[in-house]
Amino acid sequence: MKESGIWTEVTFNSRDPLYLQVIRHFKEQIAIGQLQAGQVIPSRRELGAQMKINPNTAQRAYKEMEEQLLIITEGNLPSRITNDVRVLRHIRSELLNDAVDSFFSSVHKIDVSLAELIELVTSKYGLVRTEDTKIDGGGEQL
Amino acid sequence: MLNGVTFTAEKGQITCLIGINGAGKTTIMKAIMGLTPLKSGSIQIDGQPLSKGIYEKVAFVPDHLTMPLGMRLSEGIQFMQDFYASWNCERSSELMSFFKLNPKERIGNLSKGTAAKYSLLMGLSQDTDYVLMDEPFSGIDMFSRESIAEVFSSQLVEGRGVLLTTHEINDMEHLFDKAVLLQDGIVHKSFDCEEMRISEGKSVIDVMREVYQS
Repeated sequence: MKESGIWTEVTFNSRDPLYLQVIRHFKEQIAIGQLQAGQVIPSRRELGAQMKINPNTAQRAYKEMEEQLLIITEGNLPSRITNDVRVLRHIRSELLNDAVDSFFSSVHKIDVSLAELIELVTSKYGLVRTEDTKIDGGGEQL
Repeated sequence: MLNGVTFTAEKGQITCLIGINGAGKTTIMKAIMGLTPLKSGSIQIDGQPLSKGIYEKVAFVPDHLTMPLGMRLSEGIQFMQDFYASWNCERSSELMSFFKLNPKERIGNLSKGTAAKYSLLMGLSQDTDYVLMDEPFSGIDMFSRESIAEVFSSQLVEGRGVLLTTHEINDMEHLFDKAVLLQDGIVHKSFDCEEMRISEGKSVIDVMREVYQS
């Protein structure tokens, strides 16, 4: 049940290339552990239908992900996420780097010291982690 | 009035004809189906000039159902089966259940959304290489539109050439391969949607604003 949501509940913007947004979505799902190494993924056609995008876009995304060694398609078998740990680790660092770049482009025009930024990030980190634990643990407490 | 419209809609692609009301979208559709004569110029299907055999190659889905209101959905399908040699029963059954249509329902009692789904079923159940659709999404509730969009991405459409017109560009542009913008009787711009996003970071709506609001 939860699995199907990861393909159908994606929103796309209309300005960035759709196929890149699809790839990004795959990478995010891998980084947060929703997609596991070696996990079978929908066929191009199924993905297109679930994401409600043009099937040629799904095709393009898959081709690019195969080239990036993110997914593996062997013969007529269903495509799978790679098992290669190096590739998976690289995704994690790629997304983290993108997030930090994003953060810096938001704050670089504001006059703020690195020390202040670190303090801010540290305090937020603590808060965010507490929130995550509350959400995960809530079901059990009931 | 159309005055020199040139474009290509390819098999395996979904091409959207865009233009304000009166720009000539329906005229073009009807001309392709041989329902409106062309004063000059030519229409070619797979490199062959338009001929009486068009109905075997191109299915037309009009913007409103033209079948008798008292007819039941199942009777409509039976009629099409008898009339069109290229009718695919498996496909019509598949679409009937996908869209959750009631075969006993009468055409006159259908909501707009349901009528649009049935229209689409009519067009897609013909085994044609090309499908023309006039406003398949317009005036239809969001959920029906999503349902229809899902069919567009499926193997029921895959490999065929789809040419459609719609005003619902906002939500639907993720489905199109190509956009053709009409204005003042000519093609103002014709482009691949993903290429536009890649090379210029523009959505179809962005390009429409440039063409129609300048």
